[in-house]
Parts: sequence; structure tokens; C-alpha cells
Amino acid sequence: MSSTFASPPSTPGNGIIHLALLPPNTPRLKTVKYQYPLKLISPGPLRTADEPYHSVHTVYLLTYGGGLVAGDTIDLHIILEQATRLVLLTQGSTKLFKSPSRDIISKQNTVVDLALGSALCFLPDPIQPFEKACFEQRQIYNLAVDEDAEGVSGTGSLCVLDWVCNGRPANGENWSFLRYGSKNEIYLCPVNGKRRLLLRDSLLLDDEGADGSVVTRMDGLGVYGTLILYGSVFRSLGQFFMDEFSVMPRIGGRKWDSGSEDGEEDVDEAAMKRAVRQRQELADGLLWSVASVRGCVVVKFGAKEVEGGRKWLRTMLIDEGSVWRELGERALLCLR
Amino acid sequence: MATNGALHALLLLSDSALPLGSFAFSSGLESFLAHHKHNSASHRLQAFDHFLEHSVANIASTAIPYVVSGYHNPDSLEELDNDFDASTPCTVARRASISQGKALLAIWDRALRSSLSPSSSPESQRAGAALTAFSAALKTSKPDALGLQMNAHFPSLFGAVCCALSLPEHEATYLFLLNHAKTLLSAAVRASVLGPYQSQAVLASARLQGWIEASIASTAGGIGGKGGIAVEDAAVTVPPMDLWMGRHELLYSRIFNS
Repeated sequence: MSSTFASPPSTPGNGIIHLALLPPNTPRLKTVKYQYPLKLISPGPLRTADEPYHSVHTVYLLTYGGGLVAGDTIDLHIILEQATRLVLLTQGSTKLFKSPSRDIISKQNTVVDLALGSALCFLPDPIQPFEKACFEQRQIYNLAVDEDAEGVSGTGSLCVLDWVCNGRPANGENWSFLRYGSKNEIYLCPVNGKRRLLLRDSLLLDDEGADGSVVTRMDGLGVYGTLILYGSVFRSLGQFFMDEFSVMPRIGGRKWDSGSEDGEEDVDEAAMKRAVRQRQELADGLLWSVASVRGCVVVKFGAKEVEGGRKWLRTMLIDEGSVWRELGERALLCLR
Repeated sequence: MATNGALHALLLLSDSALPLGSFAFSSGLESFLAHHKHNSASHRLQAFDHFLEHSVANIASTAIPYVVSGYHNPDSLEELDNDFDASTPCTVARRASISQGKALLAIWDRALRSSLSPSSSPESQRAGAALTAFSAALKTSKPDALGLQMNAHFPSLFGAVCCALSLPEHEATYLFLLNHAKTLLSAAVRASVLGPYQSQAVLASARLQGWIEASIASTAGGIGGKGGIAVEDAAVTVPPMDLWMGRHELLYSRIFNS
């Protein structure tokens, strides 16, 4: 796809996605490069319903064999130029295969540089670590900051999901890996200043040599994830999570309304959707909480099974609707 | 003489009457209990035991690197404060940490600071000066160009206070975790999980000591912070902890702030 003269030395697992902006406002995938075991596929861009001039590009992150074998390392660098929008997707969960020893760690590093006004939506399938897998990943999001603007207005927007499941429960696996670590960092990068850490969300599950010690820390959850929202494109979505959390039924309170569905009070559409969703949360053993800190909205959730988590996220994102509007239907493919 | 000074400081900082307001926090215990139905008292006690072990491990993996770093690099307290704030995306945990951090700074300013003397070690002097400067900066702190603000999170300030009072590093980390366990046990007594004698028995137990030592070994490393975890590698190791903490806001009735 690219025709740069001096191509960088090819290292296994390296990849570059460069989404450039051709004047006046046509985003174009300037570079999509990858090396085994990483594979990138980019179907044609889509135009979203409400902003026809905003074409959204999509890239699928794939790996040969659908996952990482012990010792594999993936380094992906993504550059989003001003006002571009990218949807990243996976095709099925990322499998982490067994490692012969805990010294052989497979790694996945992703660095995303977001210029002003750009947006990234990364709602992948969950990571699925098999028994004795050993894995660490780190996602770094560098947000360019306009020095002249007030505060951080005009910076890029992020909607990124990071979730992991207990392996292959059908094969008797239940958090039976050796090590799983995942770190998400967002940095604010003023043009002429030192970058500042805005958010760091770091999870480390290590059995520390004791078989089955991770599962005791999971309290019956089969999937656990974090959704991070930042920037103007996802502001209303973040607010939606905050609002929905604040009207959750109180724990340990009496449910005065239970049993009587014949209330004459006005039940609006949002309240009805909420009631359906909350019943489903109960059925799936889904627990979630949300915090708005430092301009980011961070949602944490856990469920007994992957499907429960997936269903809940999809319902929340569709009920609110802005991801679909701003980035198109495709952005939600992995949650289907 | 120096050891006597350190012993004195250790006793002061381990005192449950130290006005940090720790009694107001249960570090997710209250929410944990509300999320689990326990049929019998013994069942409940067992669940608490489990919770205590995991809570100590989780506070160690998230906070001990900051305690150690505050202890050795008091000059970077502001950066540590920013980074800990960035690493605590949970409203309830954040509130608890800031409230205790501010209380500790007030104790420093009004009381402990006066115990520094010209004969104190250069490290103590440096940590003391950094704490006083941090406290002064906090009073006039405004959001910076990026909209970020100083917060006064507890762990790195605790490390710096221990250094200023000439406590050895291992004692500082041990004290931090033991104080956490004491806060949890005191909350458990008030939440009627166990009685005061049972609580003392847990505190005195070799198991609790083992959990604390193991947590220190895996996060702070050996003496001098060698082999320890860098602050950028501090991580949550018990994920449901974040859910219980965050969902504390949803409890119908609450006796604690966290």
C-alpha cells in the first residue's frame, strides 16, 4: 500500500498504520505495513450517517493462528493525523498459547499517536489466555495538545476496550495461565513541553508459582475488562455511563417496585431499556462501576462469562448510540 | 540514638490514634460483604479472611512502589502524586487516598515537622524539606495548563514522612501494610464480622505477617528498593477489588467512606 523508498528494516511482529489527511479533508491510509506473525487488513473506508465528510477507516488486527505463540512479540505503531478517524477490530479472541516456561513471555506493544481532533475506536474481542500462557501487553496513547487552546480542548478522542477471559472453560481452564499483564496509558503531549501521564490502568495476574492462585482472586468472574473513554467524540457516551451508574438500584435496599408491572406512571423509553438491561446484568452476574477522573471516563466490568460481558457492552453502546453515529456500525462488530 | 529516634517515630506512626481518619474507610470491605450472601458467621469470617489476604496483596501491588519511591525520591513528590492520581481510576479509592494524604500532611505541618533537628541525617532533612514544600504548594495549587491538579495522595507522602522521621525503608513498607490491615480489621469489628479478640488474634497471627512480608518481597524487593517494582509497573492484582470499591457508592446504607 505504501511506496516509500527507504522501507524500515523488517522485524518480526512489527506493524505501522499511518492514517494521513490529504488536503482539504480526505483521510487516507498512507501506510499499512506488517510482519509475521502480525497481519493487518484494511477494507475500504465508510462514511458515517450524520457527518458525510467524515470517512472512517477500519483496520483488522490479525495474527496467524489467531493468537500468539510463546515468545512472539508484536510492536504496532499507529499514527492518526489531524481529524482522522480509525476503527480497530479483531476477528475473534486473541488466543495466548502455552509457554514452555515463565521466562518466555509473549508481548504486544501498541503505540498510538493521536493528532488534534482525531479519534480512535478500539473495541476488540477479549484476550483468551490458555493454560500456562505467559503474556504482557502495553498500550500507549499519546494525545497531542494544542498549546494555544484553553486547557485540553481539541485533543483527540479515545474509546478503547481491554478485556481478558478465563481461557477455555470447556477444556477445564479457569484463569490457569502463568502470567497476564496489561497496561493502558494515556499521555498528554504538549508540542513544546514534557508529556504528562493522564491515565494509567494496569492489571497484573501472576500465579507466582502457585497453581490456580489467580482464580481465587477473580471471585467467580469469567471475564474482566476496562473501557476507557476520552475526548469530545465520546463525551456523551461517558456521561451516559455515569448517569446509568447513578440510577442503579441500591445494593441491600428493598425493591419496592418488584412484582407490579402495572404502574400508571410514565415509563419512558430509556427507563424501559434500563430495566431490561438491569435484569440481564443480574442474570449474567455482571458487575460494573464507572469513574470520571482527570477528564477520562473509566468503566470496569466483570461477568461470569464472555457472552454476558459482550452483551452488556453492546447494549450500553447501542442504547446510547454515539459510537454508531460517529464511527459507523462496523465499530461494534466485535461485540456482536 | 538514631535507632531510638526511629523506634519513637515507628510507634507514633503505628498509633491508631494518629489523626488520619482511617477509621472512616473499609477499603471495599463493606461493599464486598454487601455483594456476598453469607449464611453463617463462620462462613462470613472465612470470606473476610480471604478478603484481607487479597486486600493486603492488592494495596501492596498498587501503592508500595509509591511508598518506596516517595521514601527515596522525595524531590519528585509532585510527579509521584500526579502519577498515582492517574493510576487510581476509582472514585472511592481516590477519595480515601486523598483524604488520608491531606490528613498526613496536616500532621506533618503541625506536629511531626518540629521533630526534625539540625542533627538529623541529610536524607531526613531532604524529605522534610520536600514535604514542607509540597504542603505549601498544595495550598496554592490551581489546575495547570492541562487541567491537572495536585491531590496529596497518601502512599508517596507516607514514604516521605517515614524517611523524614528516619525510619528504615523496610519498617516503612511494613508499617504501611500493617496499618492497612489494622484499618480493615477495625472496620470488620464494626461491621460485626468478628469480635475484638478475634481481630487481635488475626493481627497477631503468623499468617498476616506472612502475607505482609510476601507482599513486600514481591513489590518493594530487597533492602534499598533493589529488585522492587518501579512506580510505572504498579498494578492491580485483584481485579474485583476495583469493582467492589467502585460499587461502594451503590450501597443502600453505608457506615464507611470506602
